Amino acid sequence: MNPRDEILNRLQQVQRDETLPPPWQSRRDFPELAARFRQALTAVKGEVHQVDSLAAAYDLTNQLLRQMAAEKVVVNDERPLPNLPRLPHITYHQVGQEDETLRAFCASADAGLTSADAALAETGTVILTSGPGKSRLASLLPPVHIALVPITALTTDLFTWAASFNRQLPANLNFISGPSKTADIEQTMAVGVHGPKRFIVILYA
Amino acid sequence: MSNPSSATMSQFRHSATVAIADIQLQGALTGATNKFVNGRITALTELPHANALRDHFKKIRSATLANLAHYLELFEERATTAGSQIHWAQTGQDAVDIVLNIARQHGVKLVTKSKSMVTEEIHLNAALEANGITPVETDLGEWIIQLAGEPPSHIIGPAIHKTRHQVAELFSKEVGRPLPADDIDGLTAEARRLLRTQFLAAGLGISGGNLAIAETGTLVLVTNEGNGRLVTSAPPVHIAIIGIEKICPDWDAAATWLALLARSATGQPMSIYTTAITGPRRANDPDGPEEVHIILLDNGRSQLAGTPYEEILQCIRCGACLNVCPVYKKAGGHAYGSPYSGPIGAVVTPLLFGLEEYAALPQASTLCGACKDACPARIDLPRMLLQLRQDEVAARLLPWRERKAEEFAAFVLGREGRMNFFTKLGRWGQRPFQHDDGLKLPVNVGDGRTLPSLAPKPFRQLWDEGAVE
Repeated sequence: MNPRDEILNRLQQVQRDETLPPPWQSRRDFPELAARFRQALTAVKGEVHQVDSLAAAYDLTNQLLRQMAAEKVVVNDERPLPNLPRLPHITYHQVGQEDETLRAFCASADAGLTSADAALAETGTVILTSGPGKSRLASLLPPVHIALVPITALTTDLFTWAASFNRQLPANLNFISGPSKTADIEQTMAVGVHGPKRFIVILYA
Repeated sequence: MSNPSSATMSQFRHSATVAIADIQLQGALTGATNKFVNGRITALTELPHANALRDHFKKIRSATLANLAHYLELFEERATTAGSQIHWAQTGQDAVDIVLNIARQHGVKLVTKSKSMVTEEIHLNAALEANGITPVETDLGEWIIQLAGEPPSHIIGPAIHKTRHQVAELFSKEVGRPLPADDIDGLTAEARRLLRTQFLAAGLGISGGNLAIAETGTLVLVTNEGNGRLVTSAPPVHIAIIGIEKICPDWDAAATWLALLARSATGQPMSIYTTAITGPRRANDPDGPEEVHIILLDNGRSQLAGTPYEEILQCIRCGACLNVCPVYKKAGGHAYGSPYSGPIGAVVTPLLFGLEEYAALPQASTLCGACKDACPARIDLPRMLLQLRQDEVAARLLPWRERKAEEFAAFVLGREGRMNFFTKLGRWGQRPFQHDDGLKLPVNVGDGRTLPSLAPKPFRQLWDEGAVE
């Protein structure tokens, strides 16, 4: 018998009737999802901005890029990023075009711009997916990750998200809840170990 | 320190004694475990109905294990549909062989790894090195101990036993210039710089897995540093090795799992990165590995299903039980001679790797029950520690003096008459050894300890005489 069948046979011999409990219902009730999101993410050194229009989100994004004197920026091809006004002094890499050079570009980029499919208020988490035009390295290799997230993407927590999503998964789905960090040296927090040092979320209405 | 693959009574006693005398280590252990404990309590207090959620999680884990074959098959089917290649390994060696085969097929020389206890369990790094493949640990803590040539001393914080001075020394050697120990941000930045080139050069990324979701054939990895994402995104091939017990039926159950994992482990509401991998990169994905292999490792786990020890398979390796354990907090992780230390290690290590080789571990507990209180799955660790002790008696693994002493105690305590008789005998027999501060017996009862002498009148007699309020 092959290893697979041996393992499964052994387990089948001792299996018993026991059913899963019904799914846990979220017992959270935040008066304002955005406020909770901001509180949770800033508590772990993430940065949250809230603006009342997409135009304001674009302005803020470009203002942040200027402030950090970014020269190379990688941009995912996902709504609302294609319409972000480009700044003249910045070299952009648009994901989905020339993907052969994407990796090298990401490794030397100053910032990566993405959107997010959903966000969890409870834990200050944004949910990113892979797919055409959506790079996983764009939110990982550059020292700064800026996510433009519509406020309507907010849901309460993991439970409300799990109850609502359609089970169609991309190859890669990431729950991101702050800047990369470690506490492996004397339990002292240090940010920006392997991933971004700065994680900036712009929530727009 | 060497890495013994066993913990006999004398080995454990020796390593624990050395650890307790090491003031630096004691400071590091106290600092780290206290921080983890406080973080966990704060995080669970903030969560409404945390205790009810733990009860719920216990039911999920129990029902999953009751039907483990079903969920494993479902996971295999769905993961295969998504394009992952599933491999089954009965033993650690089987898993190592599968990894080596894949590495050879792709002509891999450099491997980046994210933290994985299972790869420690199967001694994967040694096997890779023996085959001319360089494994680079990329979790900062794992990298520190790899540089030091040591095994991990904690499930969550592999290098908690190291001070920043020791870390600075290791890193300085690596970069060839002295690095200041007080600049932890600087040390971290050096690690980022050095490991970045490895991430991009590696031909293969190896990870463990925190859970595998059957419903969608998804592997989930939880990390803080981002190394787990890099290891599974940058190289062209990704291999994940995961114990067969880490199966989760569906995403609703996974939400419970994830809500408890980080809170119990590090006191975070959620780890910085929770990565869900469902197959290799798709047709028009701009990046990601071309191949994803998932090795389902048994290595003794399926033998525990359906036995009184099945409950240990509910463990999600959060490490919460280590941080509250009075024995772990003093002896440290290395004394256990296993990648799994603390209360979970004291139970799972003898069950997976042999009771005889690890005879000391079921004894390395005060049975205080703090581990059971801390466990997100409410695993009854003290029950299984006691059961293992019974197994040790049955297998005659205890030193004969201890066994005889316990048999004698059972004989004496079994009948009231016998107890009275031997108490009287003892009061008379202890006279030559009695001193002001207790008994000085010619046998060792522990360094610097004395036994109290038997009272002139036993409590029960005082009670009968009405001399006790």
